[in-house]
Amino acid sequence: MNNINQPVTEDFRAAWKNTSVSSPDWLQIFRNAALEQFALSGFPTTRAEDWKYTDVGKLAAAYPQWLINKPGADSANNGKPLDIANAIRIAFVDGVYNPEKSSKVLPENILVGKLADLATTNPEIIEKHLGRLASNSDSGFVALNSVFSETAVAILIPTGIELQQPVYIDYFSATAETSVQPRLLASLGTDSKATIIEYFSGAVPAITNAVTEIHCGQDSQLAYYRLQEDHAEAWHTAVQYIQLERNAHLNSVNIDAGAGMARNELRLNLAGEGASADAKGLLLADGSRHIDSRLTVEHAAPNTRSRERYRAILADNARGVFNGRILVQQAAQKTSAELTNRNLLLNRGAEINTKPELEIYADDVKCAHGSTTGQLDETAMFYLLSRGIPPQEARNILVQAFASELLTDTGIPAVVERAQQAMRTLRFSDV
Amino acid sequence: MLIEINNLHVSVKGTEIIKGLNLSIGPGEVHAIMGPNGSGKSTLAQALAGRSDYEITQGSVRYLEQDLLEMAPDERARAGLFLSFQYPVEIPGVSNVYMLKAALNARRKAADQPEIDSVEFMRFVKEKAALMELDKKFLSRGVNEGFSGGEKKRNEIFQMAVLEPKFGILDETDSGLDIDALKVVANGVNLQRDGQRSFLLITHYQRLLDYVQPDYVHVLADGQIVKSGDKGLALELEEHGYDDILAAANG
Repeated sequence: MNNINQPVTEDFRAAWKNTSVSSPDWLQIFRNAALEQFALSGFPTTRAEDWKYTDVGKLAAAYPQWLINKPGADSANNGKPLDIANAIRIAFVDGVYNPEKSSKVLPENILVGKLADLATTNPEIIEKHLGRLASNSDSGFVALNSVFSETAVAILIPTGIELQQPVYIDYFSATAETSVQPRLLASLGTDSKATIIEYFSGAVPAITNAVTEIHCGQDSQLAYYRLQEDHAEAWHTAVQYIQLERNAHLNSVNIDAGAGMARNELRLNLAGEGASADAKGLLLADGSRHIDSRLTVEHAAPNTRSRERYRAILADNARGVFNGRILVQQAAQKTSAELTNRNLLLNRGAEINTKPELEIYADDVKCAHGSTTGQLDETAMFYLLSRGIPPQEARNILVQAFASELLTDTGIPAVVERAQQAMRTLRFSDV
Repeated sequence: MLIEINNLHVSVKGTEIIKGLNLSIGPGEVHAIMGPNGSGKSTLAQALAGRSDYEITQGSVRYLEQDLLEMAPDERARAGLFLSFQYPVEIPGVSNVYMLKAALNARRKAADQPEIDSVEFMRFVKEKAALMELDKKFLSRGVNEGFSGGEKKRNEIFQMAVLEPKFGILDETDSGLDIDALKVVANGVNLQRDGQRSFLLITHYQRLLDYVQPDYVHVLADGQIVKSGDKGLALELEEHGYDDILAAANG
């Protein structure tokens, strides 16, 4: 197969050869296969429909070198961790687990460490969940995460257990021109309940390429939050695979407020009858930043319900891409799905490419989708001004209002506050 | 004088609507402007509040010894000018109290005062809401979101009560109100008449003026004030209609 990224592939092969970590044979085989998959697919190009508006050429060129660069000594930089009451805290700096910044004692059903070590100490768990939902053929980025993920978190909630404390995972990039490949594996047992927060931030340009796999067993309930506030010149790619079994329920909030180029993908599979999901997403960008957010929801069983609400707020010359796809399989009768996407462009230079899609193979379903893009409402603006509120504050109020529907009823106030702060600090030229 | 409007000309999208209007209002005075549809009543209100797509082509407006036309809309509001909108805007996601607190604090900030204490603010706001017979639940709802026509108008007067302006412009606040709502609105205005605060009541009907007694009544036609008088003029209009008055004014 012709591959324009071939030289890059050779660099990754070399990097992989130099990574001499002892790990069980099965993991070695898994990773070798992932590398071969990457060699086959390479980095996606804009010729691929799914990557049409997001050019990863510069990221691809930098990746091999940033992969082998080592974290520096200034890893003490703390960033601005979220203040989440009563959380189980797991902190990584430059991809390395940092016990000092983490909870002193982790519950026994949460494993944290080097992937190779965990694969040795808990092979049955890691082998079962690693690559259970994620497929290395989905994109070169998923494959690279499988090859190079240094550390992993595995969260296993036993049957009937409601985990009272939210699990907060903090990934912080402190060293410029390095890369991290975080991997989160989670499994919720039957009738269990958990809240998981992934927070990405950085003080420097770096690469983050994350993969999350969460399996939600029958009657389980998951609240999943992901907040991305990477450095304005960082590259961020991430995919979350979440599978819901019978009557399982998901509430998810995905907020991308950082990075120079970010691409997030949420892949939901409503695999069991009666499974339901409420997925919300917020994209915020200013300057000449680029944020691509994708959502694929597969209804594979009858009586499944999903509601997707994604919004983008773009200023200056920022570019946004939203693609939401709802796929209803033939077996998924009585499915109900509703996807809405609303976008607010604060400046003339800002642009969004949006594409909500429905693909339906069942005949008894209720599905709707819609997308709107507009500017700030001038009459609302004048109304606030006429009350004596200065223009900049009036604009901020309307921007916050635009996102408020997504952020109300969100269980983690620290996430909401941070999102509101990100909206307040969006830089935009006067209009 | 509180406000002096001299030879004001206002165009909207290239069409001249106000064509040389003169009007002076002193402190504590209540003036009513009446006129048929399309005479320029609302254009005058919006232009005074500073709407950017209303172009002032000629004339001057002095407000409290300042050039009003040089001031931005938010500056005008902080200087005590308040417009009660004919069509109040719905702003989902911004609660009434949040907007009012931002508005009050903007005034305090401009006057180098500290932000208002939250407890004190809520007490003050609830007191004003009670005067306007506005249910407490409206305070936390989005601005005008899902309000009925009457609730929107009461909300305007409630906001005016909270912001305590020097000059209130009521743009057809009475239209679309039933008699009970009209009394509540009129009472809200009367409570704010303190001998210093001035009002400009823009209305199509004489009805409001039964409840809020004006000191002066002006008839606006084709962008100019064609007749002025005391409150008796409103009754005359009610009896004879605009046509007679306009014919007499033109003749």
